[in-house]
Amino acid sequence: MILVLVEHEGGATTELTSQALAFGRSLAGDEPVDCVACIAPSQEIATDELGPGTLHLAEHDAYASLAPDAVAATVAGVVERTGARAVVAPGSDTGNDVLARVAARLDQPLASNCVAATAGEPARVTRTRWGGSLLEEAELDGAPLLLTVQPHAVAADVAGAPVAGVERFTPVLADADLAVRVADRVEAAGSGIALADANVVVSGGRGVGSTEGFAIIEELAGLLGAAVGCSRAVTMAGWRPHTDQVGQTGTKIAPELYIPCGISGATQHMAGCKGAKRILAIVDDAEAPILAGADYAVIGDLHEIVPAISAELRKARGS
Amino acid sequence: MRLGKPVERFGDVPVRVRNEAVIVLGQRKLLQRLVPGLVHAAIFWGFLVLFPTILLALAGVVDREPWLPHGSPLDWLASQGWFALLVDVFAVLVLAGVASALWIRKVQRPRRFEGSHLGEADLILGLIAGIVTTLLLWHATRIALGVNEWPASWSPVSNALSNLFGDGTATEVLERVFVWAHVLLILGFLVYLPHSKHLHIATAAINVFFGRTRARGRLEPLRFDDVPESELRFGAGTVSDLTWKEMVDTFSCTECGRCQDVCPAYATGKELSPKLLIMGLRDQLLAEGPKLLAARRGGEAYEPPPLVPGAVSDDVVWDCVTCGACIHECPVSIEHVDHIVDLRRHLVMVESRFPAEAEPMLRDVERSANPWGKPQAERAAWAEAVGVRVLEPDDPPPALLYWVGCAASFDERARRTAEATATLLRTAGVDFAILGPRESCTGDPARRMGNEYLFQEHARQNVETLNGAGVTRVVANCPHCFNTLANEYPDFGGSYEVVHHTELLAELVRDGRLSPAAAETPVTYHDSCYLARHNDVIASPRELVATVGRPVEMPRHGKRTFCCGAGGARMWMEERGSPINEERVREAAETGAGTLAVACPFCTVMLDDGVRQGGHDLRVADVAVLMAEALEPPGSE
Amino acid sequence: MKILVCGKRVPMTGGRIVLTEDEQAIETRHLGFTISPHEECGVEEAVRLVEQHGGESVVLTLGPPEAEEQLRDQMALGVDRAIHLVTGGEEWDPQATAAAIVDAIRADEAASGPFDLVVFGNESADSGGYQVGIRVAHALGRPAVTGLKGVAVEDGRVRCEQEVAGGRDVYVVPLPAVVTVKEGLNLPRYPSVPGRMRAKQKPVAATTPDRPQARLRLVRLAVPAGQGKQAEVLGRGPEAAPAVVEVLRGIGVVA
Repeated sequence: MILVLVEHEGGATTELTSQALAFGRSLAGDEPVDCVACIAPSQEIATDELGPGTLHLAEHDAYASLAPDAVAATVAGVVERTGARAVVAPGSDTGNDVLARVAARLDQPLASNCVAATAGEPARVTRTRWGGSLLEEAELDGAPLLLTVQPHAVAADVAGAPVAGVERFTPVLADADLAVRVADRVEAAGSGIALADANVVVSGGRGVGSTEGFAIIEELAGLLGAAVGCSRAVTMAGWRPHTDQVGQTGTKIAPELYIPCGISGATQHMAGCKGAKRILAIVDDAEAPILAGADYAVIGDLHEIVPAISAELRKARGS
Repeated sequence: MRLGKPVERFGDVPVRVRNEAVIVLGQRKLLQRLVPGLVHAAIFWGFLVLFPTILLALAGVVDREPWLPHGSPLDWLASQGWFALLVDVFAVLVLAGVASALWIRKVQRPRRFEGSHLGEADLILGLIAGIVTTLLLWHATRIALGVNEWPASWSPVSNALSNLFGDGTATEVLERVFVWAHVLLILGFLVYLPHSKHLHIATAAINVFFGRTRARGRLEPLRFDDVPESELRFGAGTVSDLTWKEMVDTFSCTECGRCQDVCPAYATGKELSPKLLIMGLRDQLLAEGPKLLAARRGGEAYEPPPLVPGAVSDDVVWDCVTCGACIHECPVSIEHVDHIVDLRRHLVMVESRFPAEAEPMLRDVERSANPWGKPQAERAAWAEAVGVRVLEPDDPPPALLYWVGCAASFDERARRTAEATATLLRTAGVDFAILGPRESCTGDPARRMGNEYLFQEHARQNVETLNGAGVTRVVANCPHCFNTLANEYPDFGGSYEVVHHTELLAELVRDGRLSPAAAETPVTYHDSCYLARHNDVIASPRELVATVGRPVEMPRHGKRTFCCGAGGARMWMEERGSPINEERVREAAETGAGTLAVACPFCTVMLDDGVRQGGHDLRVADVAVLMAEALEPPGSE
Repeated sequence: MKILVCGKRVPMTGGRIVLTEDEQAIETRHLGFTISPHEECGVEEAVRLVEQHGGESVVLTLGPPEAEEQLRDQMALGVDRAIHLVTGGEEWDPQATAAAIVDAIRADEAASGPFDLVVFGNESADSGGYQVGIRVAHALGRPAVTGLKGVAVEDGRVRCEQEVAGGRDVYVVPLPAVVTVKEGLNLPRYPSVPGRMRAKQKPVAATTPDRPQARLRLVRLAVPAGQGKQAEVLGRGPEAAPAVVEVLRGIGVVA
């Protein structure tokens, strides 16, 4: 049996959990795939997509305050009880954290951020390094195999089924398992997304033309939950403050996706965005240096292209 | 000056004597500005000529019949008609000089005097006028009384003035009054002198003598080996860290503002004025020096307040592009850039306090061997396409090493210069190689930023690589690399014949090995500070420009060029106020040229940015790129 | 207080990664080295905490002899001394790494008292295992809080802030504790030259631990397909919008 750790938000499983489930199913072959989820007594969780295996559903007050050691103890308990051959968790911050705690408890190796795995003696895994810039093939001796799944590297399996059954239980937790738990929550000040931490950044360059021209950049950023950046030419022209500058002398960014619009790709700028995992450039010059550093490109006038993408996003959201 | 830290300025005496003759006696640097230069020269030369008359007047104060040993040189001089003529002529010149100076100061009011002590200067000019006027009047009364030692006909002015006086008692009294007034004014002048900027009469000559005799682009290295804990301070943090030469610099400043007038930072509305920088340091030195001396006498420890922000603000220190225009203009050989770099050295190396945006550059130079953190393995990526030989560790020494530099290796725009240079050298049949990934940043931006430590790490490593490869002759694209390799690496055991690519290409054109197709399109050439002003490379790039177009000059060119804004590590800092590059591009656009030729990768990037920002119809290209384009296509012979 | 920061020597890849011919490692011939950015913030935090509360800060690394360079770099920032677990340059898996660090911590604590705080980066820049800190905490029986962007010590406890969507979760755990931190926790200072020169004199305790059999073994490395190529042009003009949204979906930035 292969056990998948379920993360949930407001009763629904997360996107990364769906990816972990898909990964677990492909690893399992004909074996059953069970799920384990931890909820506070006040919470519920949708089970329509978690099957066809069994859901091991732990209930405890501690889970309301995350308590990663409590979750790890619970998962380790399910592993012992069921004899699961592998545990798969989403490669989120909490997924990696919890499975590392499980690994420490069981004194087993853990392969984090996997993109592929094959069972066997030893098992073979392919995992990412350098934040995804490099792949590692490795052998893993583990009983059980402990794996977390690199986000967005495998398609989420939508063909889930309702669970065969739900085994509810209340775990017995040691005091030490409750030492680490959320004591307080501080709401973020302001609504803006910090450039340096943003998952997606949309930037405008000289091609945007004016302070007002940034309206379309901001609109696209808003739709993507992205931070707005700009090039040095823009801050020099006074269209945006220096805090918005992406570049050698501005902020160095490392988003999953960077969308420079109307930016030619001067060395000064590229030094600031080299940490971006992927770059989608919108530029009018098919010879612009930015294309050498980008993964995707749209050639043309950003004043037409950017609103068109925003419209397309709205359409996709509406449907 | 007793407080000053040591600095080597005693060698090269013949050069120093020559400098003294040309700059002090010849007033050459003052005459860089013709009218004010002539005004000063008139007063200066006047005083040299009139000096004996001061002695004569001192003797004349005692008695109307001057007591002078008969047959003494002074006695002889006093009787010479030609000397009397000289005195009259120069007295008038001095008066004319004073009048013109007052006109410049009161009517023209040039901006360079902003922040200077103007009242002080007016008083001094008044004193000078008084001294010379009383001299003439004294001489006139002596002629009127008939007690002149010299033939009256030789002194036209005094003679003419003598008609105002009779030969009676009144004139006898006036003769006494004038000579006493003359001498008292001189004594007053001498008393006032040490308390005013006119101390420069004494210090300027000293400062010029001890001015730099070695390459202008070279900075003085610091020592980092075996520094005891108590001396772990570098650069200038307080007045006690200044060298004696820096101290004399501050006392030599005449507040003339020539430096301020040519400063690109000041011209574009930044806080830095080289003049106010020196005055600020001087004021702090005058305030703290006595306390330091007293503490030293008493054997106590006294830590003076910091120079930054005490004497000058942080912004002033970081505004500088190290273009050296101020040094070039300064009539008394003040070395402003050394002051700036010493202040930066303290801020960066001791306090780690500098514009935050420059930190990635310092870290990338240190860890990635280039200022943008590009992968060093890709340094020679451009060369693969062009087919340039990369020197491997065990290869025989190359006849010529092409030092590409970080910008031409990694920057998309500057890279064209490297490709063009390589193409041109190959066309001319020059055998050369590059170091590829073994080349690292020369350390120039770190050094100009004040991080001498980081610079020296790179200098040592590069010298080791170059010496290890048996390199003797180097051609460099980048004037900053060029300056560092030629003028600074000898301090670290690396002595090579270093030429700039424009020099080498000009040589190849002269030898007929390169013959680009000439065109009639107007091209204006922008001199890089580190090429023209710091290293006198002015003619070669112009020869090249003339082979590809019709040269038109900008008003500010050659040694009086105007910076692009990138020097002194400003390339990696954010600019406040109006951009220097846009100012320069405006000047270039006004020539009507369609092409702005450059010979520096940083000028290329800065000026190209300026053109885009200003929306000018101007193409910025390295001279080498223009030449490569103008080469006759291969096989057309 | 006494604080330990653990760091790993990693190359500065500058973006594009080139592998050695045997595909066992990154070609580092022309690369500079550093410690992971998360760990740099950890060092800065340790130095600040000691400046604030007094005590001693120590850095530890498990790595080749050349990693002493990184230990000196960290000591230049104000760290007092270093522990170097010297390896032959081969890769140690996370379990082996954690075990060696636990042994070193126990030895140091036996000699000079317990560490109030042991700091790790959330994950190393190269292998990104997300686990050494947690394993060390488990072995030492200390609480571990991960992924922190805020650390404050007050009354024998450490207040930890973890960035989550819409704000920060706060954890308060008693000392001694283990924390793993993320870049952005602080802005690491730039080393002063006097600091660098003092660092040359500071003590580095070097030992050579035995490397146990790895249970996660590197077989080979590979550069993902599509790197270093020219951009894939999705189209020209506004007609490309649907293709763009398709790509956004694939990357996972649009649901």
